[in-house]
Amino acid sequence: MIIARFLGPRVWILVGLILAAAVLVPLANLALPPGHPLHMPSYLVPLFGKYVTYALLALALDLVWGYVGILSLGHGAFFALGGYAMGMYLMRQIGSRGVYGNPILPDFMVFLNWKALPWYWSGFDAFWFAALMVMLVPGLLAFVFGFFAFRSRVTGVYLSIITQAMTYALLLAFFRNDMGFGGNNGLTDFKDILGFPIQAAATRAGLFSASCIALAIGVLLVGWITRSKLGKLMIAVRDAESRTRFIGWRPEDVKLFAFTVSAVMAGIAGALYVPQVGIINPSEFAPVNSIEVVVWAAVGGRGTLIGPILGALLVNYGKTVFTAIAPDSWLFVLGGLFVFVTLVLPRGIVGTIDHGWDAWRARRRSAAKEKGESGDGDGSILPHPAE
Amino acid sequence: MMRLVRQFLVFLLIALILPIGAYAQSSDPAALIQSFGGKQSFDDTEAVVKKLAAAGDPQVARALNALSKGDLVYRKSDNQVFIASGRGTVDLFDPLTGTKVGEAASRDFSKVRVKNSIRRAVTDALGSLTLRSPDPNTRMAAAGTLFSTATPEAMKTLDAAIAAETVPAIKTKLEEARAAAVLKSDEPAAAKVEAVKTLAGKGDRETLAMIRGVAATSKDAQLKQAATTAAVSIENTIATWTILQNVWYGLSLGSVLLLAAIGLAITFGVMGVINMAHGEMVMLGAYTTFVVQELIRTHAPGLFEVSLAIALPLAFLVSGAVGLVMERCLIRFLYGRPLETLLATFGVSLILQQAVRTIFGPSNREVGNPDFMSGAFDIGLMSVTWNRLWIIVFALVVFVALLALLNKTALGLQMRAVTQNRKMAAAMGIRTPWVDAMTFALGSGIAGIAGVALSQIDNVSPNLGQGYIIDSFMVVVFGGVGNLWGTLVGAMSLGVVNKFLEPYAGAVLGKIVVLVLIILFIQKRPRGLFAQKGRFVDA
Amino acid sequence: MVEHDDMREPLGQDGIAPGASPDDVAAGPSSDPAKADTISSVVSPHPYAAEMRRRRLAAEAQGRARRETLLYLDGVTKSFDGFKAINNLSLVIERGEMRAIIGPNGAGKTTMMDIITGKTRPDRGAVYFNGAVDLTKHDEAAIASMGIGRKFQKPTVFESHTVEDNIRLSLAGPRSVVEALVHRKSTAERERIAEILATIRLTDKRRTFAANLSHGQKQWLEIGMLLAQDPELLLVDEPVAGMTDAETVETARLLREIAATRSVVVVEHDMSFVRELSVKVTCLHEGSVLSEGTLEAVSNDPKVIEVYLGR
Repeated sequence: MIIARFLGPRVWILVGLILAAAVLVPLANLALPPGHPLHMPSYLVPLFGKYVTYALLALALDLVWGYVGILSLGHGAFFALGGYAMGMYLMRQIGSRGVYGNPILPDFMVFLNWKALPWYWSGFDAFWFAALMVMLVPGLLAFVFGFFAFRSRVTGVYLSIITQAMTYALLLAFFRNDMGFGGNNGLTDFKDILGFPIQAAATRAGLFSASCIALAIGVLLVGWITRSKLGKLMIAVRDAESRTRFIGWRPEDVKLFAFTVSAVMAGIAGALYVPQVGIINPSEFAPVNSIEVVVWAAVGGRGTLIGPILGALLVNYGKTVFTAIAPDSWLFVLGGLFVFVTLVLPRGIVGTIDHGWDAWRARRRSAAKEKGESGDGDGSILPHPAE
Repeated sequence: MMRLVRQFLVFLLIALILPIGAYAQSSDPAALIQSFGGKQSFDDTEAVVKKLAAAGDPQVARALNALSKGDLVYRKSDNQVFIASGRGTVDLFDPLTGTKVGEAASRDFSKVRVKNSIRRAVTDALGSLTLRSPDPNTRMAAAGTLFSTATPEAMKTLDAAIAAETVPAIKTKLEEARAAAVLKSDEPAAAKVEAVKTLAGKGDRETLAMIRGVAATSKDAQLKQAATTAAVSIENTIATWTILQNVWYGLSLGSVLLLAAIGLAITFGVMGVINMAHGEMVMLGAYTTFVVQELIRTHAPGLFEVSLAIALPLAFLVSGAVGLVMERCLIRFLYGRPLETLLATFGVSLILQQAVRTIFGPSNREVGNPDFMSGAFDIGLMSVTWNRLWIIVFALVVFVALLALLNKTALGLQMRAVTQNRKMAAAMGIRTPWVDAMTFALGSGIAGIAGVALSQIDNVSPNLGQGYIIDSFMVVVFGGVGNLWGTLVGAMSLGVVNKFLEPYAGAVLGKIVVLVLIILFIQKRPRGLFAQKGRFVDA
Repeated sequence: MVEHDDMREPLGQDGIAPGASPDDVAAGPSSDPAKADTISSVVSPHPYAAEMRRRRLAAEAQGRARRETLLYLDGVTKSFDGFKAINNLSLVIERGEMRAIIGPNGAGKTTMMDIITGKTRPDRGAVYFNGAVDLTKHDEAAIASMGIGRKFQKPTVFESHTVEDNIRLSLAGPRSVVEALVHRKSTAERERIAEILATIRLTDKRRTFAANLSHGQKQWLEIGMLLAQDPELLLVDEPVAGMTDAETVETARLLREIAATRSVVVVEHDMSFVRELSVKVTCLHEGSVLSEGTLEAVSNDPKVIEVYLGR
């Protein structure tokens, strides 16, 4: 296949690792007896599943930030919208098993004395419809938002701030009871998904595998996009937007494409996240959540495929560990991480390693030849520091 | 049920056998008060109250107040009336003069019993009594109360009061009260038309309801016409005042936004540094106020009234110092990398929030209002709270001071020079790193000052800053980056728009609408309301 | 003069007259229509540009191509905050002409470029390209696709890309996102890139990141990117600022080569460079044309002398 050659070995190793996890983790959980040294306890499966959806979210952000230079502080909104779409499906699956036993209305609507299902809830009893909405709603919001923002050439920090304002506005909106999304409490108490009980170990293992497969597809998609001519154009837009304009490209189209694709990916991540954590509420829209995603990508190394995934896994593992040891210290650590990464490690872990490797190779080559060239590696493509 | 019936029968009996002689007593206030003594029917008590009112001696107010509170007692042995306070052993006071006359065991006394209709009568009586009070404020208040309570019978009292009144404002109020009384009476239609005309000038909701009632029920065509006209004019007045009130609320919100954003207008607007920890600078200012007030409470309670004045410079120093440290240790390495600056300062904001949460706890902290900041007053139909008023004044003062600093001082000149052409400024011998540090410290310090003001109207909690950061950026971006006037106009117009939307959309939805409007606005004019024009902007 | 006979081969295909001397430049293009058409069909430029080129070539074949107007600025005015950067400026650039624009700082040279390329909208006036199109109605990307290339004063290339990729992104062709996503490298594309790299003398740097080029090399790369765009009109802003003497000479050669088949407008301060170009010169002052003619005539114009030396 052309794409296979095109993507390079690194991407395939990454995809292989992710798919291996998709198989091995459920096996270690379900097939091995609890006493076995390699047995994975059931509580870890949804936790790791959550990390994987975070990794997909970070990868989505990386597509726009690392490659096109759009620092979105609102990706948590797309993630949450996807999550809400899935949550609405899961709510409808509860049926008459809710506290109030209403076969149609979710509990919170009965509690609010609503008589009928709002029109925007119709259709969510079908999985295919919900799955479509998981992609369509974030994608559409991103498209409309991006259409206006990019066309009027809102760039840089201005764009970052209005994306933050966007998620903030959604946060306020979803807190309202009369929006019909459960207000403060959000959607929870899910029973089953596609007929499988959501708490069962096998279902959770299945969700973990699904998340891994989604991540693998995400990696292939982003790999394909960024290694195409369009990917080169994205980097060109990131580094010298006006130049692309004066050679006839429309940077706004490039940005809109990346932003929309990225939002759809974030929506899918959110949809996989919700059944594994069992709840979706408005706090997912909080600006802090979106900005945390940025730090995952930054820690791992933006502008690389592996970086954001590695960053999301590391930072969230750190979060789990720290909140267990000393709950109060996590924000100090997170805050410190922001400062550390920007000051000391602007390329992130993967970017720094790649850069060091490239530099070493170039030095070796220039020692061999008289004057060398930089390698055309598939690693970090961060902007060269313009002096 | 049975008990009620029995009680009623007892009352009836008492009313029948009680000597009617009580009515024959003189109009001497002291003697009248004494006639509360002994077992009486409620009607008798009410009759005495009315007589006291008719006697018109302001001194009896004390006894009447005591009566409605249930402090008026009589000695079982001789029916003499006192004001009592305390339990078990009570202090006794003279009902007329209020001087203490002794102590006694409470079991020797009975309360003069009251019910709501008597309390109402007392209020009316007090109303007409206080009309003669030597204190104009008391008279003013009484005239105000009378407007809604005046009965046709009060007309005579009011006439007398109007004749005697010398203060024009009180006189107007009295005339309005009289007009209200006329409308309730069976005076001829012509008199009522006059009354409606008088009331048309008053124009509040209560009057409107009264006049609408007249317009609906009156049989006289002329009166109906007059009432309808008056109702329309009052509606207009109310509408105007509603708009004014909204504008006021809007300006008040705008001044808060201005305070929150003005420091950002320096760090972001002038220097171009995205400081996501700006809100936390505001929060530090608010916590400085809290600490100052705590110290004053424990060490020098007398200084409480000036606590804000003490907190202002301290807040400036605290936030300014934190800003200085941030600039020296962090931001100066990130100039020209706005997105990295945004991330790093966001990290700082998380650290500052958590630090404050660790030191002061996660819950709200109580910051007191000094006297001059509490209370409210009315302008027409508009209510103005003092703290809001002072905050508007304060925001404008800070704004003007900052404008002066930027335009009239050497530091301001150097700041502008550095931001416009760093290399040139450096070549002219300006120490640009020093100017950067000072500018950032100044912006942060102003945020701290804003925190002092905001501590007066908002909850002082570690999350205080978060609530303002997005709004502040919106204001600066909306107003136009690098333009202080833009920030002023931006803040005020956002405040007013917000408040005008609220009645239609609700507070939360209104905020969302404003956010969406700003986002659309930025699409249209990415460089804000007062954009700096020129071909160098894009460079 | 620089020896450029070695450039004959790669250039011939695009119909650039090799060895065009300054005197030939004014004579306009002497191209081979058939060959040029082959190229445009291979890389398929913007439909409008293609149509224009077809018409031009047809016209040339009938021998009436000479000296027709390519760009016409008609009474253009633009002010910033009351300062008139461009004041009722009218200017005609003919097809195949190379023009040098000089003028003191603030004369409106860069603003004029901004207006032609759609970066700035004028307050008044119109800019006609190829006779029919009013450029003030279009944006940068559309104008670029019609065949107007622009080189900035400060070289702007894609520093994170190799020299080759820089050229590849600039090649004339469809400019849609979907096409870019499914784009395949073709032989024609590779040949065209090799050709351009040879022209700008960066063939041995094709795999070098643009960030690692010298200042002069970046300038040439940018010119190469403009060539790849295959424009009819090139606007070049101070191409030799900060260059060594050798680089300057080389740049002058490059520009003349390009001008053999296209119109070129060069804004320059460096008088020796303008002399080296030896083309018609327009002197701008306070946003309008002060003097126009040969460099000799312009530099002897008392108005010009007054502006440059002060009154």
